[in-house]
Amino acid sequence: MSDLVDVAELRTWLEEGYASSVRTAYLILGNRLDAEDAVQESFLRAWKFRESLSSDSSFKPWLYRVVVNTCNSKLRKEIPHRDRRSQDDELAGIASIDDPMGRVALSNDVMTALKDLPTHLRIVIVLRYYADLSERDIATAIGRQPGTVKSRLSDARARLAAHPALQFDPSGDTHDRQERHS
Amino acid sequence: MTMFDEEVLRVALAQAANGFSVSTTQPDRILEHASTSGVTERMGRIDALLLHFGRTRSIVMSLAASVLVVAVAVPLFLSEVPSATSGSGVAAAAAQKKFVVHGEQAPIPKFSNGDQGLVTTTGTAFLRGDSIGTTTSESSPGKTGKSGTSSSLRVEEVGTIDVTIGARRFQTTLSQLTAFASADGGFVSSTHATMGTKSKGTFSAASIVLQVPEHRFATLVDQVRHVGHATSVYTSADDVTGQYVDLQARISALQVSRSQYLKIMTRTNSINGILAVQSQLNSIQSQIEQLQGQLNLLNSETTYATLSVALSQSGAVHVAPPHARNGFDKAWHDSITGFVSGFEWLLRIAGPLLFALILVALLAILGRFGWRAGQRRRMS
Repeated sequence: MSDLVDVAELRTWLEEGYASSVRTAYLILGNRLDAEDAVQESFLRAWKFRESLSSDSSFKPWLYRVVVNTCNSKLRKEIPHRDRRSQDDELAGIASIDDPMGRVALSNDVMTALKDLPTHLRIVIVLRYYADLSERDIATAIGRQPGTVKSRLSDARARLAAHPALQFDPSGDTHDRQERHS
Repeated sequence: MTMFDEEVLRVALAQAANGFSVSTTQPDRILEHASTSGVTERMGRIDALLLHFGRTRSIVMSLAASVLVVAVAVPLFLSEVPSATSGSGVAAAAAQKKFVVHGEQAPIPKFSNGDQGLVTTTGTAFLRGDSIGTTTSESSPGKTGKSGTSSSLRVEEVGTIDVTIGARRFQTTLSQLTAFASADGGFVSSTHATMGTKSKGTFSAASIVLQVPEHRFATLVDQVRHVGHATSVYTSADDVTGQYVDLQARISALQVSRSQYLKIMTRTNSINGILAVQSQLNSIQSQIEQLQGQLNLLNSETTYATLSVALSQSGAVHVAPPHARNGFDKAWHDSITGFVSGFEWLLRIAGPLLFALILVALLAILGRFGWRAGQRRRMS
């Protein structure tokens, strides 16, 4: 098993990837506590199955694969069987930070649109535009072909573009927010 | 996107995700817990291999599919090959494996033991492979015993046996059959054998007629049946006692007549009378000789039982002897034969191949679902 990663090295990678994993899981699950649970579970599993990661494999897609699968499992098994936590709680958390109101509103719109996306489309959008994975790495992370990823990304972008929360508002709110960001 | 570009989406997602703080000590606690709570069970080599990404999985799947195709298609194809060489397909195979023997079989041992009752036996024997089961029904209307028609029972027995044997045992078997007849006090009446050659694709075949004393017939049938694979056994026994006695009686009567005519002849003085008696004597003598000939033939037939044995090489089919072909005729015939053979081969292999492909497709679908489920279980 000489091609396996060093345990200390893996520990460092996991520690460094914890924050981004939690935030990615949050975007997928829409809830901070669920995200932390999912990542904790993911790390335990990643540690348990660390031998499946060889030294010539890329760590980032491998870790995201574990996280995405855990999130999928939660969305399939746990979350549908209990009341969804209110998104407002999370948004309140966001607003409590030092962000201006405009940024909070844009994030609110994006999260609303993201929540309305099917899970498989939401995952590729998050991995592409938040985790900044390439299409090839996303394919590895979700266990699909790169062509499938490309197709899903295209579909997800089209849906987001057509989502009412992200449509142009005659009052200029959304448009203004874009201008402020740009 | 019509409302904002990808960079805006990227920024918005970052803002949404970064809206809360993440504990920096949590990963340490998780990993500490993982490393101390026994979550260190090592995966098997196969599991570890299967969890590798990309190329490894493809190679494993391809190898598995290849092995499956070979494992399914080759035995199925090979199972078709013997019928391909025989050329007559299912009929030949069926003839090799299942055959029915119909016939009337006389209870030879009873006769040989000197039981003089008239016993007729009819039966149908079904042979499957090397086993034989026989159902018989017997009736004994002639149990009147020694007051019957004659002092000795006359039974004419004939039989036919088709036997298939391996090519290497052909010569040996012919010698063996001859030895059987000699050992039983009989002889080989006729033999006709053709030896096939592998290079020309011909098969060996022979027919041999054995004659043995009537009381050894059952033994001979049993011996011959076991020299190879008996595909057909037919025996019949015909009680000709009545015919034999009738001939004897007619001969005796004619002999009496002849004696009387001879006495008359000694008392006749005229030429005309002598000529008339002589004519009658000639007629009677002719009849006596004719009947005596029939009696001798019957005697011979009932003394020796005849068994015809048809030997054929395993896998051979009975084909009409081809007339000599040459030139265009031969080329055309070969072409047609080749076309038909090729088409038959295609049809023959299409079934197993289609079955194998369907099986592989089903297993691939199941394997893919199983693979994903396994991956999800391991990772989630």
